[in-house]
This record gives sequence, C-alpha cells and structure tokens, in this order.
Amino acid sequence: MQKLDYPRIKETLYHETLPNGLQVYLLPKPGFQKTYATFTTKFGSVDNWFVADGSKEVKALDGIAHFLEHKMFEEPSGDIFATFASQGAAANAFTSFDRTAYLFSATGQLEENVTTLLDFVQHPYFTDANVDKEKGIIEQEINMYKDNPDWRVYTNLIGAMYQKNSVRIDIAGSVESIRAITKEDLYTCYETFYHPSNMLLFVVGGFDHKQLAELVRSNQQSKTFAPQTTLELKREEEPAAVGEAKVEAILPVSLPKCLFGYKDKQAVKDSMQLQRRDVVTKLLLDTLLGPSSRLYQELYDERLISDGFGYEFNSSLHYGFSIIGGDTRDPDELLRRVTAALEQHARDGLDQQAFERTRRKRIGSYLRLLNSPEAIANEFTRHKFRGGDLFEQLQLLEQVSIAEAEERARLHFDPQQLAISIVSKGSDA
Amino acid sequence: MTFERGEVGRIRLHVWPTKRFKTFAVSLYAGIPLDENTVTATALTPFVLRRGTARTPETIAFRERLDEMYGAGFGFDVYKRGDAQIVQFRLDVIHDQFVSSQASLLSAALELLGEVTTDPARDKRGYFLDKYVDAEKNTLQKKLEAIINDKMRYAAERCLEEMCKDEPYRLHPLGQRKDLDALDSASLYAAYRKWLGEACFDLYVVGDTTLEQVQALAAKAFGAGEGQPGRYAFPQLESAGKAPKSIVEEMDVAQGKLNMGLRTHTHYADDDYPAMLMYNGILGGYAHSKLFLNVREKASLAYYAASRLDGHKGLCTIQSGIEFQNYDQASAIIQQQLEAMRQGNLSELEVAQTKAMLTGQLRESQDSAFETIAFDFNTVLSGRNRTAEALIAEIEAVSPSDIVQAASKVELDTIYFLRNRKEAQGGHAKA
Repeated sequence: MQKLDYPRIKETLYHETLPNGLQVYLLPKPGFQKTYATFTTKFGSVDNWFVADGSKEVKALDGIAHFLEHKMFEEPSGDIFATFASQGAAANAFTSFDRTAYLFSATGQLEENVTTLLDFVQHPYFTDANVDKEKGIIEQEINMYKDNPDWRVYTNLIGAMYQKNSVRIDIAGSVESIRAITKEDLYTCYETFYHPSNMLLFVVGGFDHKQLAELVRSNQQSKTFAPQTTLELKREEEPAAVGEAKVEAILPVSLPKCLFGYKDKQAVKDSMQLQRRDVVTKLLLDTLLGPSSRLYQELYDERLISDGFGYEFNSSLHYGFSIIGGDTRDPDELLRRVTAALEQHARDGLDQQAFERTRRKRIGSYLRLLNSPEAIANEFTRHKFRGGDLFEQLQLLEQVSIAEAEERARLHFDPQQLAISIVSKGSDA
Repeated sequence: MTFERGEVGRIRLHVWPTKRFKTFAVSLYAGIPLDENTVTATALTPFVLRRGTARTPETIAFRERLDEMYGAGFGFDVYKRGDAQIVQFRLDVIHDQFVSSQASLLSAALELLGEVTTDPARDKRGYFLDKYVDAEKNTLQKKLEAIINDKMRYAAERCLEEMCKDEPYRLHPLGQRKDLDALDSASLYAAYRKWLGEACFDLYVVGDTTLEQVQALAAKAFGAGEGQPGRYAFPQLESAGKAPKSIVEEMDVAQGKLNMGLRTHTHYADDDYPAMLMYNGILGGYAHSKLFLNVREKASLAYYAASRLDGHKGLCTIQSGIEFQNYDQASAIIQQQLEAMRQGNLSELEVAQTKAMLTGQLRESQDSAFETIAFDFNTVLSGRNRTAEALIAEIEAVSPSDIVQAASKVELDTIYFLRNRKEAQGGHAKA
C-alpha cells in the first residue's frame, strides 16, 4: 500500500488500486473504538443517460439510482440489515446527485463486517416480486418529502434553475417513475455502474491497516468481474439561462420559505479549477452572509431573516449554483436586499479583515470536521470522485487570495442568472 | 476512559483529559424543574445571552471574537429531560497545536462562556438590552410557530402533549407563545438572575487538558460563587388510563403520521433499565426490529416505522408515516407487535442482534467527545452512577425473561394520527 502522510493535520492514509480497479483507502485512527466504512459507486441521480454494454444507449427512469440502493439490501438469505445487526454493525446507505454510498459503523467483528459490505454490494438480487414490494415503501418515502417544506423549496429551486441538466431531477424520482421501474432496469444500471473500477472503499477507525488491506485484496481476488469497459455518460446540453426566474408552491407553513441563488454560466475546465472554485465561493459567501457579517445582522434586526438563514454552493464539472435564504416574512424584500448587497460587493470588492477572519473560521471548521470518522469517509469520497483530495483542502483554504474571491463575486453574482423559489401557505389560509 | 470530577462553587466539573481529538469540547448544562411559570423565560434566556456580553456587547463584535478563535463552534440547545428543562451551551475550539494561536484557545473559550452566562450585555438600568430582548422574542416566537412545518416532529410533539396533558412534560422546551408578550428586558433579567441562582450547573471539558487546569480556568471565568452544586429531582412516572386515548388531527398533508405513546414505568436509574432498552431495541429501535420488519418490509405500508425510549421520563414512543386509508391496518400491525413483546415472542436471533447493536452504539459513542459528554450527563441527571462499560455489561446480562418482565410493565397510553382533511374526500362544504 502507498502511505500518504499529512503532517499538518496529523493523519496518515494508506491507498491501493486493486487489479480489478477498486480504489481502497484506509485511515487508521489509533485509540478509536469504532470503524466506519463506506463502499461507494460513482452513480448518482444525475447519471441517467449512458451507454450500457458498450453499445446500448439507455435513458434511465427518474429515481433509479436510489431505487437500486434500496434493493441492494435484499439477498436470497434475507435482509442484509439483519446480518449486520448480528455482527453489531449499524448499516445504512444514501444516494446523492453524484454517488451512492453503502456504509456501516461497528466496534467489533471488523473482518466480518467489511466482508459483508463488499459482498452484499457486489451481489445484486432482484426479482419481480421484491422490486414490486419496494415500490410501496419508496412511495411513502416520496410522500414524506412532499410534506417537507424545506425539501420542496430546495428541489423546486434547482428545478427552476436548470432546464435540461439532470441535477434538476428529484433523487427519489416520482411516484409515477418508480412505478415503471423493472428488475431488468435495475440490472442494467447495476452492471454499468457497480464495476469495481467505478467504486471506492474507505475505511476509518482503530484498526491495523495491513491486515485489513489483505482481507480486502483476497475478497476481491476471489470474485470475477466482467472486463472493464469504458463508461460512457451522456449529458444534455444545458442552456446558460435559468429555466424559470421564480417558482412558488403551497404547503402549510408558519412563514414563507424562500430560497434563491445564482446559476454559474460557465463550466469549469478541470477538477483543479472545480476545487478551487468551490473553496473560493464558500469563503466568499461566508464572508458576505455569515452570522458575523453586517448584512446578516441588518437583516436579522429588521426581522427579514431568522436563525435558519443559510447558504451553500453546489458544484460538479457540469453545474455550479449557490443557494441562499430561509424563512422570511417578505421573500421579495429579502431577495432584493441580499442580491443588492452581493452585487454591490461584486463591484466594490471585499473587506480585507472580514475575509481573513472568515478564512480563520473556515480553517477551524475544517479541522473540526476531521474529528468525525463519518464526515472524513463521506467527504473524502466526494472529493476523490471529483478529482480532489479532502486532506489538501487546508492548503487550498490558506492559499486562495481576496483577489480571487473578488473575481469570483463578479462572475457569480450575475443578476441574469438568478432564480427564486418560495413555499408559502397561500392566500386563503 | 474516565471523567475526573471537581467543583467550583455551584458548578460541578467533569474533565476527560485525552489527546484523541483535534479540539477541546466544552459543554455547560444548566437545569431547572420544568414549570409552566418559568418555561418560556428560561427558554428565551440563552437566545438573549448569545447576543453579547458586558465586555463585547455588540453582536457583530461578539461573533467576530468567535471567528477569531478559529471559528469556535458556539451554540446552545434547550430541551427537557425527565421533569427538568435544560439549557446546554456548547463550544468546540481547535487544539492550539494545529493553528498558530498566541493565546490558549481553551482559556479563551471558558472565559467567553463565563461571560455569556454570568456577565451579559446590560443597559444603564442593569437589565438586558431592549433591542436584544425584542429581537429574540421574535425569533423564539417564530421557532414556536414553525414547529408545525416539520410534520414528523409536529406529530411526535403533539402525541407527547396529549399523552402528558396533566404533567409538566406536556410543555414544549421552548416555552409557550402566550407568555412572550409579558416578557420585557426587566422581567426577563429578573427571571435570568433567579435561574442563575437556582439552576444545577455542570461543566464538561474533553480534550488535551487536566482537571486542575480547568478548575483554575473555570474559577476565573465563572467566579467562585457561593454554595453547593444542585441536584436534579426524580421525575413523576404516571400511569396510562384504562383504555388508550385516541387523537385524530387534520391538516393539508400528503402522508399520514401515526404515532403512539407508551408508559414504561422504568427510569434510567432503575435496575431494569437495561431490560427496557432491550425491549425498545427489539420492538422498534433498528432495521432488524419488529416494527421495521412488519410495518415496512412485510406490509410495505411505511418508509419509516420505529420506536424510541426516553429513560428519564419512563416513556416509549412509536412513529410511522403511512397512507391515510392504511390507518387501521398499520395500527393493528403495530399493536400486534406490542402484544408479541408481552407474549415473549422473541427469537434468540433478535435478542442477540439487539444486544450487539446496543452495546456497539455505546462503545461507538466514546469516539465522539460530545456523545461521551451526553452519556455521562445521564449519570448526573438520574443520580445513578453507570459508566458505558457498566451499562454494556448489564445489557449483555439481560435474559429473555427480563425483557418479557419489562414488556409486562409497558402500557399503551395514546394513539395519535395526523391525516389529511376529510372534506377534500367526503365532499363536506367548508364553512
């Protein structure tokens, strides 16, 4: 295994690429009781148009990556949660825009649990009956989100910004789309995206890395996989403009929920640029909108925002957008005030002191994140799939300049690229 | 792993010296009895305290101070445990060795926490600043009104409220909207001084430090203070009525929420608490549990169906999200599981799985500074000294008959159902 030392953050990581293409990363944490492992495929809700088998073009039904995640837990021997439970492990999984992760945490039986994780994800078992049975469960999951105003206002905004890009599709799909999914569809996606060469195993905890590496190697050697073909993903051409400038929905909420954001016009050219843009944009938003900023305090004093006010930046090689907002008595006024301030800073620049203070704050929260094995595994994988390295984020944070942030403000805060989403209780309530 | 204990005036100190984390985790708990007359003022107090201190009265400057400490993670929470209302302040600061800091960040953190709790920003009259009290009243009011937004939480709160109608536990930890109007900077300040004088205080520090160091820093930051640390009172554990209460509420929702409240008659301090943990784990704590298997996996009625144990109030609650028309079926399946528990219908496998999960979770909690603190605080609250290792051993020793014995104590008290409006289906005209 290759040993990677990160003296600044006092971490040592071990890495190996197995002959079948699987990326293995092990992070020993001496003194830790628990082991946390994630086994992740680079297959998320956005990956819905691809060439399978080297020839057949597939447009997958909405929500299929998430459906597949649900179905992986069933084996002919029964439910895999029960196997993990017998081994004292809490297992789970999640599907995001860009990946599907299977995970467990446990304090004992490390070898059994890692083996179970590798084996169940590498053994699909779909039948007409078990696929059909899952539909009722996922339908209730979709209904649960329908009642969640935070989720609705969020996904509606992305749907407004993007016209073609598959990031606009709800991760769980719709009741109609999941009803149409068959076991054949699941096998097609499985065979395309769950090849070891498209996957990453990350294990963090108080273990001996040499023994664990040997276990993973021999587990993978004992299995045969189809030869690796190049995975061809297709993407719709996304127009620069937002699809709709404003979308509204009605739900029983105490105050209107309002989110808005800017959609980046230009894609980044490579993963280096992607990472840098990410760090710079988050620093920029934090400087201008964080709880210690003038703007935040003004809006709070005028009761336009409350504790739930927040902001984030989401990106990949194929999209980039900010999301800003929260609960407000007056969505239009909040939008006007925040965008006016952001666009003014795009013209006039940033306050040097505020920028440096925010940099310190972000360095602190980065180091705090490294206390959490869960956050390390998930964030490491996310960065790796984008061609980056979580453990080099500290350096990036220290490097970026205020000039870069100001340049970024000019590019990103473009009034033409703005969309807003509102959820309110409507007028008759 | 052990906490070293000490005292500074009325504050109990609990320090775990360890090099395992990259930060110092600091938690201050302040608890008073949950009471209709003080619940809202107590809830509002930390909102006002976080706005600024006598030394740094302006909020922006106060938050800049936190940013300068490498973004010290500062926050607070108000919740209820047993019959107590607890305000918890948290600070998480980077260990100095990772950053080029001149002053000790632990010292700065405790100093700040001491100021926040004992030396807040005040006006000429010596009361809280009007502008902070007004703004935070508004914030708290919005939070109380927003409980309805998250239907899962709303249903859980409503079920408890109905179940504990005649107990202090019915109160929301954030208080009551109707009390807010009467609170102003003078009355809130008086309530704060009373709270400061009466609450039980526990200060936890986890990180690369010692009890002696924390003792010295805390004495400086909080003032030595007169008196002894307070003790938490034992909560009331009520019985259910003869037949379960059934509550149905209508709202514009896409999914029905079926919740149930049970009385366990078992407190964290009781010898059979580990058996009750097993009861809850087998019933609905996990993905291998009876509720998940029967409501979700077998009947495909729900995405989530689970139970939760509250050892400090002797309650167990069940929550699920279902189609409206499946109410009878889901309710029957859930009650069949309760009956199965009473009948001792437990497989060796589910007992073994649940033991493995419970003990695993307890071991894991020791990898997180804040989870370790939260677990240890159970000791303070309940008066029962029990380390994680001891609880693990007690769980391992639970027999199936202990679980059946625990099950025989459990009573179904309340069934709560949040559903859509019937008018929409039945065609009744709206008034």
